[in-house]
Amino acid sequence: MDAFSMGLVAAMGALATVAGASEDIESDIGSQSNPNSQVQLAAQVGNPHRIYNKAISGEPPANALWAATAAMVAYTLITAFQMPALLALVAGASVAALFNGVFSMSAYFGRNSSQRRFNQWVYLDIVRYTTPSIMAHAWITSFCIATVSYIMVYMLPVPHPFPMAIIALVWGLAVGAIGSSVGDIHYGGEREFQNRQFGCGLNTMLSGQIVRKAEAGLRNSIDNAWFCTKFGGPATGMGFGLTVFLDNWRTSVFDPVTQATYAILMGVFFIIVMIAYNFYIEKSVRAKYGPYPEYKGDIAA
Amino acid sequence: MNFEITIVYILEILVGGLLVGIGVHFVPVGGAPAAMAQAAGIGTGTVQLAAGSGLTGLLAAGLMMSVTDNLWLILASGAVGAGIMMGSTMLTGSWIYAYAVGAPFASAKVNFDPITGFSQPPYVAPGTVGQGIPTICFVSGIIGAVFGGLGGAMIYYPLYLINDNAALSAMFAIGIFLVNAVIASWNIQGTIEGFHDPKFKKWPFAFKACAIASILLALASVMITGGA
Repeated sequence: MDAFSMGLVAAMGALATVAGASEDIESDIGSQSNPNSQVQLAAQVGNPHRIYNKAISGEPPANALWAATAAMVAYTLITAFQMPALLALVAGASVAALFNGVFSMSAYFGRNSSQRRFNQWVYLDIVRYTTPSIMAHAWITSFCIATVSYIMVYMLPVPHPFPMAIIALVWGLAVGAIGSSVGDIHYGGEREFQNRQFGCGLNTMLSGQIVRKAEAGLRNSIDNAWFCTKFGGPATGMGFGLTVFLDNWRTSVFDPVTQATYAILMGVFFIIVMIAYNFYIEKSVRAKYGPYPEYKGDIAA
Repeated sequence: MNFEITIVYILEILVGGLLVGIGVHFVPVGGAPAAMAQAAGIGTGTVQLAAGSGLTGLLAAGLMMSVTDNLWLILASGAVGAGIMMGSTMLTGSWIYAYAVGAPFASAKVNFDPITGFSQPPYVAPGTVGQGIPTICFVSGIIGAVFGGLGGAMIYYPLYLINDNAALSAMFAIGIFLVNAVIASWNIQGTIEGFHDPKFKKWPFAFKACAIASILLALASVMITGGA
């Protein structure tokens, strides 16, 4: 392999990391993540709120739609209108962001107006200043994923046989799956859901009792983004970046035509390292935090 | 096209669909409760995670298939690609459980982790059914992803041989993959912790349902894409 393709793989990893981070923050601002089940319940248990609520689809299909839209528009502009690739990708991401805006606003209006009987209001100021932040993050996500797809199809020494739009669809599904697996846990640890003791999961009895007030004024989704940017977003980016980078690194370093076995064995090695690392985390966390004081009667291991 | 070869292709798609259906049972998903650290496993939906990993495997398998026609290399490539995606997802998820939520990993479904032997009940927070991703769930998730990646590659391989069109075959593979993942997800009612979970024993139901669905889809996809 040459330095150029290694650089491309590194660029793909970096783009994927940014895409993962922005995907997670986008879903946190829009509260499209799993903890949204609490936000959904809140009005029904007597807590009307000012959290943006666009969870009418899971993150993976939604992000697959935006990434595939961006890649499709970019592909059309590149092949039919001979546009420069970078401009075409920017245009594609902009179209995807518009789709995202329509999706978010209709979801917000639908969700909140359907809870009218629980005194949930539709706040137009929330729509006015939260939707552009959501769209901006969706733009970053779809631009990065469409660019990764472009590199895989047109620039790598072993070009991928799938068309750009399908690669973007699959990476969109993957980034959504990672965002909803990794970033959501951090969003679930946000102050909004902290009506509980530190170190415990949420007791089922407290479902829907979200924190709605800050030191001054009412909390809204921008406060969630402030918190999730610190760890949830970057960790999601790390997850997606690792996926894209490790997956492409092994087929770039080892030529898939002549050294396919090495490429596969390298992948198996990565998986074993991950299992060992997770075991290390589990062990150190159990030693550090210890058992819960409420537990009566320890069981000898 | 030769009739016998078409039958083999249909059987390959059937096996791929079954692998996906069974693989979903291994993936430790806790749904929204896991995202709130109320349940062990990964905090997302079954289908979403299985699709995310299995289709990443499909990308790896597709790349391998463009340079070789050795079935075993293509299958292994798909399995490893899916495993890497699932591994990095669970690993970064573990960071958040450990360092942001601050909860020790424990499963409420077993008293002892069958792999590490760690006792679980003292570490389960009161009022919850565990939290985090213990080693048993992690290994189970990797197995599930490997099954999903194998299944995706197994569906893609015959379709590509039939029509020689990567895009068409990939779309059909994604569709057949999602159908089987959804059926399996209904069987486990949305959440499962892995092969140590009592719900795992229900897999024969999903096996039968996936077999029927996969046969129908295999017939349709082979005919539509130019077989028989």
